[in-house]
Amino acid sequence: MQQQEIHDFLLTYFNANDCEILENTPAHLTVQLTIEMDKELMNRPFYWHYLEKTGGIPNPAKITFITNPEQAPPDLKGEMIHFGSPRLHQIIQSTKKLAGYTRLFENTTQSKGGNNPLYPWLTMNVKISYQCDRKKDTFMSIGLNLISGEIMEGFHHRVLPVKVTPKIPDYSYTLSPLIMPKSGLARLDTYIRRSFEGDDHSWAEEAILRWQNDLNLLEHFYKDMDEKSDSYYTEKEALKAQYEPNIRISIINGGLFYLSDRALG
Amino acid sequence: MKINISFNSEWNDEFLQKIENDGPWGNWELYKLAVQMEENLIIPDFEGLQAPKHLPQLTPLPHQLEAAKQVVEKMNGKAILADEVGLGKTIEAGLILKEYMIRGLVKKVLILVPASLVTQWAFELNTKFHIPAVVQRKSYVWDSCDVVISSIDTAKRAPHRDIIFNQEYDFIIIDEAHKLKNNKTKNYEFVQNLKKKFCLLLTATPIQNKVEEIFHLVSLLKPGHLGNASLFSEKYKGKGRNIIEDEHLKELVNTVMIRNRRADTGIEWTKRHVETITIEFSPTEQALYDAVSQFKPISDGSKGSAFSALTLQREACSSREAVFYTLKNMKAKYEQPSPDFLAKLDDLFTKVNETVQNSKAEKALELIKKIDDKVIIFTEYRATQLYLQWYLQQNGISSVPFRGGFKRGKKDWMRELFQKNIQVLIATEAGGEGINLQFCHHLINFDLPWNPMRLEQRIGRIHRLGQEEDVMIYNFATKNTVEEHIMKLLYEKINLFEKVIGELDDILTKLDISNIEEYLIDVVGESKTEGEMKIKMDNFSSLIQFAQSMKEGEVHAATGNS
Repeated sequence: MQQQEIHDFLLTYFNANDCEILENTPAHLTVQLTIEMDKELMNRPFYWHYLEKTGGIPNPAKITFITNPEQAPPDLKGEMIHFGSPRLHQIIQSTKKLAGYTRLFENTTQSKGGNNPLYPWLTMNVKISYQCDRKKDTFMSIGLNLISGEIMEGFHHRVLPVKVTPKIPDYSYTLSPLIMPKSGLARLDTYIRRSFEGDDHSWAEEAILRWQNDLNLLEHFYKDMDEKSDSYYTEKEALKAQYEPNIRISIINGGLFYLSDRALG
Repeated sequence: MKINISFNSEWNDEFLQKIENDGPWGNWELYKLAVQMEENLIIPDFEGLQAPKHLPQLTPLPHQLEAAKQVVEKMNGKAILADEVGLGKTIEAGLILKEYMIRGLVKKVLILVPASLVTQWAFELNTKFHIPAVVQRKSYVWDSCDVVISSIDTAKRAPHRDIIFNQEYDFIIIDEAHKLKNNKTKNYEFVQNLKKKFCLLLTATPIQNKVEEIFHLVSLLKPGHLGNASLFSEKYKGKGRNIIEDEHLKELVNTVMIRNRRADTGIEWTKRHVETITIEFSPTEQALYDAVSQFKPISDGSKGSAFSALTLQREACSSREAVFYTLKNMKAKYEQPSPDFLAKLDDLFTKVNETVQNSKAEKALELIKKIDDKVIIFTEYRATQLYLQWYLQQNGISSVPFRGGFKRGKKDWMRELFQKNIQVLIATEAGGEGINLQFCHHLINFDLPWNPMRLEQRIGRIHRLGQEEDVMIYNFATKNTVEEHIMKLLYEKINLFEKVIGELDDILTKLDISNIEEYLIDVVGESKTEGEMKIKMDNFSSLIQFAQSMKEGEVHAATGNS
């Protein structure tokens, strides 16, 4: 991830959370936090607790992020932000927390005498991780039309260009779903699980071979021992934790989108 | 095949809740941002290292990156990192740990290091790797922090021990792991019982003396990899090992161990200059030395007797204080000593009292004044350490002591004092490991250890990555003593100082000399005459030279054929 992308990310994040941007150069960003954002990011519950008890004047923090240290003024004090910095990851976590669920309506341009039906779509963005002693992930975004039952892959990127709004626009109305959200979730779940069934799972077979190999060594090591010691069982547990193949599905976010029939092209 | 699938349904429940309550719903901008960032954090391959991308301020050396890659991809996250001293094992360990943390395979981490290194590890992990490692100072830390650093001596004691065994650690790092070479110790047992999902053992000297040591080390990491104890000793102990079997062992060990050598790394190292300084005894010192040489505490001529006579001789080369301390202990040990024995002891005490100067200390003082820069003095004896501190003080030179037994805080403090204000640091052997002093480049070996590996550890304190000056090493040896013999043999004939430690490892293994120290004690202590000793020593050094030339021959042959 490029430094410029990180800079843009921070800018969007703080704008979306109503924080005033005090300075914005290509090299750095100074932000006045709101009280809510101070509580979210600065990790000082005692301060806020004290303030609320004593009724003092709140003084939320100002932070300077340096996104390009080469161009930044040398005397500038601030936090260096890069892909590995804990602050960036904290903000990513916060973003996920604040935007785990959404419901949006297509902002249709008025037509046909102002009678625009919007179809309900249920969507989920997920990360699928193959995990043993190693790990790799894939990203998947799917949407389910709650009327037709159609499932669309790559949903997120198709919905990105659509203009959406949190309030239902005038002259639009939503169609009632035929599939209830609960069973919709179940359909998506089944779809996700099927999606990797046919995948190449040699990674898991190889992990099991490595596991078996180490288990054999372990048995051999303790074979002269009639009563196996605790360390034998601990080690056996450790090998399981190390090698056992696992597929983990984690949901990044998702929600309901009400879209016109032309929206997704 | 059937693979476990794990899925957290909390999201679903909360989602349905929100539909019921009609919100609150997240902001579209943040929603898009969350997906964008997660897509960036996706790691699409099992292979390759992610850590360097996350660490723009760190520039790992090629051999460090290679080591990290190999541990993750080939060794399944369990390895002995055995680079020579000063090649940056900590960096390798940090890279590997970071990699697993980024990939989300590791959360809970236990790092066991010598007390003197605890603070330094915490500092490096936090600043270089952005890993929030916490030094264990209060017992709640075990539960509440994910990455904890502690000394093994603290960790193995109650109540910590039980708390640790109740944690589910994903990753364990043990620094200076050669201390676990003996499987009968409490430390070994403690580490053996830790649950080691991923584990790194760090040591510069995987084999110090015996081939069994590597067996015990590997068995901690991967029990059974080298067979079980009985099978291993049957195969490798005592018997004249033939090369094929050795090759086999080497190959096995290399699948769990990474050992980079200085020479292979292609890094420009500063030079080592070694100067031997011969000291002549004053008459009273000579008298003391002669007296302890004649002294036989137990007159049955057993090995033990040769051993204590040798100890006393070596001590007499260091300081009369060291001799005095040992004699005092000897006297206290016997409940009803014979009058004869007491008379002998008293005679020695008189000799100690009559010794009026320490020629080595005088030489050291002269040298320190000439160097006019920071100097480390190593001695084997604590009594000598105390004496030297006093002696230098008398001559207007301030110094700080350093010992293995110091508490962590005190070690840090001594190191800092030395770095900032004090000219001389006087360390004993036990203090030699686990302290990095690359800001200093003069080292005096006031007396010499008989195990060359320990000497390498000493020099490694200053001759490591980060050292910018050429390193000066001054070896003191007293003329016409055991010390001079050893110096001539170990350190001059076989050029040990200029040599890197790994080569000697190879040579000793080829010669089937498993314990060089015992061997030397045998040569020096058991020889009836000077002449016999000289012959044995010459034999030994020509053997080593022969093995060395064989080795060089191999290298030439190899390059010639390529």
